Amino acid sequence: MPRNADELIELLDLERLDDDLFRGQQMPSTLPRVFGGQAAAQALVAASRTVDPSYAVHSLHSYFLQPGDTGAPTIFDVDNLRDGRSFATRRVQAIQHGRPIYAMTANFQRAEEGFDHQEPMPQVISPEEALDARAASRAADPDRDSSRDSEWDVVDLRYVGTSADGRLPEDGEETARQRFWLRVSSALPDDPFWHVAAFTYLSDMTLMGAAFAPHGVRMGSPEVMIASLDHSVWFHRPFRADEWWLYDQVSPAASGSRGLVLAKVYSQDGRLCATVAQEALLRRRTGSGGPA
Amino acid sequence: MSEPTPTQELVALLDLERIDVNLFRGNQPDSVRARVYGGQVAAQALIAGTRTVDSDYVLHSLHSYFLLPGDYQVPIIYDVERIRDGRSFATRRVVARQHGRPIYYQSLDFQRAEEGFAHQDRMPTVGAPEEGFDLVGLMKAGGNAEADALGKEWGALDVRYLGNSRTGLTPDPQHPAQARMWIRVTGELSDDPLEHLAVFAYASDVSLLGASLTAHDASPSRTQMASLDHTIWFHQPFRADEWWLYDQWSPSASGGRGLALGRVFTQDGTLVATVAQEGLIRPLAPR
Repeated sequence: MPRNADELIELLDLERLDDDLFRGQQMPSTLPRVFGGQAAAQALVAASRTVDPSYAVHSLHSYFLQPGDTGAPTIFDVDNLRDGRSFATRRVQAIQHGRPIYAMTANFQRAEEGFDHQEPMPQVISPEEALDARAASRAADPDRDSSRDSEWDVVDLRYVGTSADGRLPEDGEETARQRFWLRVSSALPDDPFWHVAAFTYLSDMTLMGAAFAPHGVRMGSPEVMIASLDHSVWFHRPFRADEWWLYDQVSPAASGSRGLVLAKVYSQDGRLCATVAQEALLRRRTGSGGPA
Repeated sequence: MSEPTPTQELVALLDLERIDVNLFRGNQPDSVRARVYGGQVAAQALIAGTRTVDSDYVLHSLHSYFLLPGDYQVPIIYDVERIRDGRSFATRRVVARQHGRPIYYQSLDFQRAEEGFAHQDRMPTVGAPEEGFDLVGLMKAGGNAEADALGKEWGALDVRYLGNSRTGLTPDPQHPAQARMWIRVTGELSDDPLEHLAVFAYASDVSLLGASLTAHDASPSRTQMASLDHTIWFHQPFRADEWWLYDQWSPSASGGRGLALGRVFTQDGTLVATVAQEGLIRPLAPR
């Protein structure tokens, strides 16, 4: 897994096989399957490379179909669904061993001005005041397996709190909630596209903690297995992924072993930069048998 | 024979003709509008996708993009691709086509029922459906030129508008753009769960984008509005012919686009679905 911004860009800088066909490499990793954020970010890069640079991505929707194999490269096959005056749409299938592992649709827009509003950033502690998330996890659970922590060196992660641990102000509607500060751990180039791609990579991290908050379960606990089912991002305003952004996550509902999380992304100066939605399979492990 | 009710017409509209195993044709309603209502295409595509999946699997989410305005003069072809048939999940994508071009693209995910973690947001305290205002009447009063045509097309829907951030709701500083309404189908549906899913999908495109305008001094009649995408997560089964609360808010608008999110509660307070839609919202040039 990439350990810094340079390695992340190397991972996302796909090889072009044909006009609409790309190949993404893997990085050495001890994870059992490809990290979802990697598939999402590589697919977004593939789609973007087939769109005129005067259009910028404003949303993506995707489904995870099969666990990705960390031992094989991924092929990204791009379909052109529309090239309109204001909008362009692409569909990307990520393929390994002849089977789709991930499918994304992404929409691009020519820049225009219009109505502007946003929900205000909540009052939270600063990243400097927040706990380093990995140190906090180790402190909370000394027996936790931390051998994989270095896989995530590309991100600085500061824990703000959840609705269950008393670190966040009371919420009138008792919503399941979790907050983190994140940033890419070293400087990215200034090209706004790399910030969008790097953010997409990071956006698949930590989300399901909000769905676990009401249930007294930590993400990464051996009691549970998690698999992302879908992933959506709406990009509202440009921002730097290598400067702190607040990941303000709520889980309106969980049922049928699925949890839905909606998240808002704020830059430190309070601009609402993106909204993210993800549904995931959340299963409690029973006995020694693994998930089916 | 008596005239079909609007609800019977709606159910018939969503009942596609099967052309081949993965290919369907959807008819058009008798409409005077310029382009096909997005909720109709979403609901017809949902039906097409679901008819290719074993009935053990239940629809739990759909994501979609609107690509081109639909033409009321010709039927819509729904072409289903089977993306995955797994042990727990099945995935389909449906391309809606007219004149050889894709007008709408929907992905759907289905799951075999299982039990697990459960929680939900609490339903906000709101007025009863009887206290709401008829939506089409409000549109007419607001000078919406399409109100009569929409009232006819949405004849099967009973929409009782409770209010929005500008009028009717108590302003919430955390949510500058909000709107709430009760919706149900006027007539009775069968007990087939698919009918309720499809009719709900049809209704879920009514007015959602309007929530993003409530933070602005802008009326829908002076704004170009077009849905860009439409997403639904189904949490629990429910009946679309009994009242459900559509609790809508818009976290952001920028760059000519507004994002609206909606939570759907049944009258007993169960959160049954979450909806997301981004749309184009452009002020129309003054004449």
